[in-house]
Amino acid sequence: MTYRNLTDTEITALEGQGCFCSDWNEVRVRPPFSPGAIRNVRFEGQVALGGLDGMVAPAGAAPRPAGLYSCYLKNCEIQGPVYISQVGRLEGYLIEGGVAIEQVSSLVVEGQTAFGNGVEAEVLNEGGGREVLLFDQLTAQIAYLMANYRHEPEMTAKLKHLAREYCDNQRSERGVIRAGSYIRDVQSVRNVNFGPHTRACGARLLEEGTIASCAEAPSVIGPGVIARNFIVHSGATVDSGAILEKCFVGQGVRIGKQYSAENTLFFANCEAFHGEAVSLFAGPYTVTHHKSSLLIAGMFSFFNAGSGTNQSNHMYKLGPLHQGWLERGCKTGSFSYLLWPSRAGAFSVVMDKHSSNFDTSDFPFSYLTIEEGKSVLTPAMNLFTVGVKRDSEKWPARDRREDPDKLDLIRFELFSPYLAGKMLRASEILQTLYDEASREQKYVRYKGINILRLLLKTCRKYYQLALKKYYGEQLIQRLEGRSFDNLQALREILRSEQSGTDNWVDVAGLLAPAAAIQEAVEGLKGGRIGSVEQLRASLRAIYDNYEAYAWAWYIHTLEQETGISIGQATEEQLTGLIREWQASALKLNNMILKDAEKEFDLNSRIGFGVDGGEEVQAADFVAVRGNFEENAFVRKLRAENEEIGKKAVFWAGELERIFRTT
Amino acid sequence: MEKAEIQTRVIKVISGVLGTEESMIGEKDNFIFDLGADSMQSLQLVAGFEEAFDIEMDEDKALEVQTVDAAVDFIAQYL
Repeated sequence: MTYRNLTDTEITALEGQGCFCSDWNEVRVRPPFSPGAIRNVRFEGQVALGGLDGMVAPAGAAPRPAGLYSCYLKNCEIQGPVYISQVGRLEGYLIEGGVAIEQVSSLVVEGQTAFGNGVEAEVLNEGGGREVLLFDQLTAQIAYLMANYRHEPEMTAKLKHLAREYCDNQRSERGVIRAGSYIRDVQSVRNVNFGPHTRACGARLLEEGTIASCAEAPSVIGPGVIARNFIVHSGATVDSGAILEKCFVGQGVRIGKQYSAENTLFFANCEAFHGEAVSLFAGPYTVTHHKSSLLIAGMFSFFNAGSGTNQSNHMYKLGPLHQGWLERGCKTGSFSYLLWPSRAGAFSVVMDKHSSNFDTSDFPFSYLTIEEGKSVLTPAMNLFTVGVKRDSEKWPARDRREDPDKLDLIRFELFSPYLAGKMLRASEILQTLYDEASREQKYVRYKGINILRLLLKTCRKYYQLALKKYYGEQLIQRLEGRSFDNLQALREILRSEQSGTDNWVDVAGLLAPAAAIQEAVEGLKGGRIGSVEQLRASLRAIYDNYEAYAWAWYIHTLEQETGISIGQATEEQLTGLIREWQASALKLNNMILKDAEKEFDLNSRIGFGVDGGEEVQAADFVAVRGNFEENAFVRKLRAENEEIGKKAVFWAGELERIFRTT
Repeated sequence: MEKAEIQTRVIKVISGVLGTEESMIGEKDNFIFDLGADSMQSLQLVAGFEEAFDIEMDEDKALEVQTVDAAVDFIAQYL
């Protein structure tokens, strides 16, 4: 941009309007320039002013005429029409057009800074060793690799080097306040970059940070916030007295109500209110809403913390060096307690206070309780509860990310090769435990947990039920939306070009074959992946290939478990899979309906019908809660049951047609 | 198997799972409201009946059974 010096007439006009500068030669302006909208401004250092004509309409604020009023500007470049009023000190910034800044004590860049990029957060293990570099291109998957793949020191070093290189490129002595941002009533800001359309109103202190807002998904920093060494991403809201230190706040995250967090990563769509986080790796959809909840030194995703949830990561021995893991979809009951190190399988519910260390990752969909003073696992129990069904449907619907560049790669499938593989393993373990147990035993022990012997066979049956549902569901999903008129075309659709023998992993929301992730790791080690951008592209390719990977795994597993070679399957085998899917899906849904019905039973009515008898209680309950038959979830599930029946008939008919006419 | 024998065994299983004295369990008792069974104990009851009678019950239908005498009738279908 071309700037010129002020004319004597303009300087005289500015001084007449209460402006001051010890050397007006340092103040340059871009034509056309009119000094009319500059009053009571003190200029210092090199200042460049773009046009101040027209209106400014920043994010979430009323439009106002552009101008500079009652402020101190030092070493700033103002690129377009802005509104800056009552700013005690504004120093070292490039300010784009359409920005409004008012009633701010101090907004400065001091020395060279990377604006929060490159800060190390000690996640998962307070004792250190799993540090993650914060930067504005950090994704849940990159953080996962950086924190958890320490068994790959070469990869870790290279990944850190790439991240460090990116962070170094962000270094500057000049900050940026991007177009459309609105900064109001903020006490002190030092070394913070503001992305487009940021709305920062009422914050107390912001130091060393980047707010990676964008026009499609503005970031909001609200009243009372204190944040040091941070990255806040697009569409995120941090407000109402939150305190952050060394934190990454991902896309669509909400933090507030005096939440306090340090050394913590919050990835897409997390929500954190009231409580506290320390060294937490909060994968996508980690939610904690209540006071007295401490999440510490743990890895979570799709998690819901009950009030008073707590964990311990040290035993007054060598320090706080233990860590824990609740796999995706877990919930903790009110005032539940876990003693790290422990690990709970996906979609498990933790209730009560557990003071033993256990690993139940082989048993997804389980309940963890205390019985007779012991930690007890009820495997598969959560397969047929209302909660899992509702959660798995609500997460995709609650994806708040509007940024066109979505950082975290998230697969929402409830039944995936990752969980189907775990259920297969769980079935094998339960069978072995059953075979080895004596009928006199009340409990059997497995990796630190107790399982009621009585339940071994029954719970295995529930896993098998879910697997049958999965097998048929995958077949139908494969056939749906594809056209085939003869057997050869059908067999072509059912074929896979991938090998599917591999274990699957959940990389902080990304479900993928372990081998595919390892390939990315090797790519980093060998130099094939040489930038953060390339790493993101490589992980994105894995994400995009989910369907092909999952189908390959399915084909391999189906043959191994049932003997059905899908490519050569007979009509009877294929229709058999569909029949079993229909039966098992209906059974699971009916069990979920039964669970939902409990929400309407007599026990649920306790607390209703104040000052009345049974009739009043019933009427009050129906008025507030409605009845079972008309409940939206119940109706939806019943409609799903009908749909299952129709689909089963349709696909059986289609398969019969293809086989009979070929 | 005679219905009376089924009932005796059913009550024995219930007593074992819920820790209620056999004499306190009536044939009309509801597992949840009268005997206080929670969700996990309901599963244990299903597992207990399957083991006691060496049967495999239909998963969803078994959880629909609400009372002691209904359990007796339900189990009788498998014997």
